Amino acid sequence: MKTLVCKLRNWKRLLKVSLLIWVILQTLGCSGEENTKSYATGIYLLLDTSGTYTEELYRAKQVINFMLAYLEPGDAFAVARIDSGSFSEKDIIAKVVLDPRPSVANNQKREFANKITQFVDKAQSARYTDISGGILQGVEYLNEADVGSKNILIFSDLKEELPEGYVRKFKLELAGFNVHALNVTKLRSDNQNPQEYLDRLNRWQNQVTQGGGNWSVINDLEKPEALNFKI
Amino acid sequence: MLAFIQDITNGSWGITLLLFLAVILVLYLARSFAHSAIKTCFETVYRGLRLFSAFILFSRKSLNQRNREVLLEQGREQIDRDLEKQFFEISKYIQRDLGGYPELQRKILEQVTKIQDDHDRSREVPLPSPDWLEAVEAVSKIDDQKKGGFGDNILKQIHKAAEIQHRESVANYRKEMAKRHKILQNIAPNWRKIAYSVDEVGNRLREVIRRSEIIDGYMERFNEVTSGSEKAVRSLKSSAITQFLISALVVAIAIGGAFFNFHLIALPMSEMVGSVERVGGVKVADLSALVIICLEISAGIFLLESLRITRLFPLIGSMDDRVRRVIMICAASVLLILACTESALAFMRDQIAADLELLRVSLSGSEPQAETPSGINEWIPLAANMTLGFILPLALTMVAIPLEYLLQTGRSVFGSLLEGVMNNIYLLLRVLANVFRQAGKLTINFYDLLIAAPLWIEAAVQKSMAKRAIIQNSQPKLQKLQDPIITETNSDDLDKQLTQGIKP
Repeated sequence: MKTLVCKLRNWKRLLKVSLLIWVILQTLGCSGEENTKSYATGIYLLLDTSGTYTEELYRAKQVINFMLAYLEPGDAFAVARIDSGSFSEKDIIAKVVLDPRPSVANNQKREFANKITQFVDKAQSARYTDISGGILQGVEYLNEADVGSKNILIFSDLKEELPEGYVRKFKLELAGFNVHALNVTKLRSDNQNPQEYLDRLNRWQNQVTQGGGNWSVINDLEKPEALNFKI
Repeated sequence: MLAFIQDITNGSWGITLLLFLAVILVLYLARSFAHSAIKTCFETVYRGLRLFSAFILFSRKSLNQRNREVLLEQGREQIDRDLEKQFFEISKYIQRDLGGYPELQRKILEQVTKIQDDHDRSREVPLPSPDWLEAVEAVSKIDDQKKGGFGDNILKQIHKAAEIQHRESVANYRKEMAKRHKILQNIAPNWRKIAYSVDEVGNRLREVIRRSEIIDGYMERFNEVTSGSEKAVRSLKSSAITQFLISALVVAIAIGGAFFNFHLIALPMSEMVGSVERVGGVKVADLSALVIICLEISAGIFLLESLRITRLFPLIGSMDDRVRRVIMICAASVLLILACTESALAFMRDQIAADLELLRVSLSGSEPQAETPSGINEWIPLAANMTLGFILPLALTMVAIPLEYLLQTGRSVFGSLLEGVMNNIYLLLRVLANVFRQAGKLTINFYDLLIAAPLWIEAAVQKSMAKRAIIQNSQPKLQKLQDPIITETNSDDLDKQLTQGIKP
């Protein structure tokens, strides 16, 4: 009888200790759900290289450098060009997942900046502008990167021009994505008929929001807070 | 409700009035039940609140008793500790200063003996009276006393011899006196030595008396605390609140220091453990920095415990001195290692920050600023960071002292606060209970007000019925007496009786 009582007491003690450990783990947030949650920021920047927009690439470089300065270890960043067929890995100019160690991450940022400088210096204008393909590529990249905050930045005038035979009639799956249009310049025809510009913006906004994403337009790049995409 | 009534009556005033009268009638008929129900309802709430207030009062009293016990126990422990310290100090003092008292006593005795000897030696020996005085007297009686005579010659010879002897005696006497003076002169330092020794003993004894007075004071307080007097409780409570506030302030300052320390080492820790992994949304690097700070504080607590400065873990204080010394050395070593590590991390932080700044400058496209010739802008922050990295962990160890006070006094302070809160709740419950009781009475009165008309009719009917009954009973008597005065008087009595009769 005494042995049974002792065993029961031991079991009680074990149960209490287990309960305490469980409570502590729950408090610390060590549940599986918490562990799988990523706090990293993912940014996929699309650079329009069509026509006269190549002149804006120097501004894009400044934006990229600004973002590089404020990205943290673990964040993913990729810059891709928009050309005739952008749904391709070949269009990715530079990509990086920053190392957990700050010193290594700093070196990665330097390399990244060098690649962008080289690209901007040698960039040639493309004949067509496949924005949809670029966005689709960005979605793929960011989904693979498994980041907490997914941001697609489109540095373009948003005028899509596809080569003959290219079909982009699909619904974008952008749930959990933030799509930002940067430096959406007005074309000459927009000045003649501003409605064209507004229609163009509305079309992209509808496409993004219908796909479940969030849409915003940032034309004033002088404001640093506008480019802060951290969680 | 109004709409419902309007639907029923279709806006007809007659039917509305009828309904109203019906409601009044129903209320009148259900009067006793309604009164009972209202009374029960409010009485239940009243009783519940009273019961709850009684429970709160009981809990408050228990808490008060418990707080009092805790306070007295803490006070007793504190005085115990003070007394122990005083006894330790007085024991040390006696061992150090009065331990040599037998030696001092021996020295004094030696000095006294020496003085005694010297004094004996310096005693004046009386000169013997000359033996030849009688001879002189005899010679002076001789008849031949004329000048140049036999007697005169003898006397002259005697005078001459006496003078020689006198001179010798005076010389000897002076010599002896000089010796005695010399001896007495030698006694003077011994006197001074004895006086000094006695003074020294007196001073030491005065110190012992002073310390014993302090101990007496502590003992008096100890007796007060042990007897649990109100004065002692009040004094302890006031002291506890003061100590709590002071220690809370110091702990808050220490938390500020820990926060600063955390930021000093969080960035370099990310270089060591990475800054991507998270636990519960917090970076592992930040957690590691926190763990290091907690380790420093723990090492500090163990160090102070082993030095018996604090008593957070009484087990450590009661350990064998050898084991305690080992713990002390270990804690001090850990603390020193962690302080050096933090200093190194501070150096690393400076390097990383400089690299990041350089990166930002290069990314912004501007040229890095030329270094100042002395490089003063580089080494001052670096030295400051490293010094702080080394000093802060050592400073954080001191948090154990205010922490101990905070924990000790926190219990009684929070207990007192809780007592105050419970007192207010008790008061509130009592007020609420009375409010409900009066509200019950008010509701019953309001109910009666609604059915005032039927009640008035009831009273009038009862009065007339009672009057009639009394008249019927008094009719035969009136006929018998046939006295108008008496009849008038009886009529007045009848009115009085009726008035009394209709009272509920």
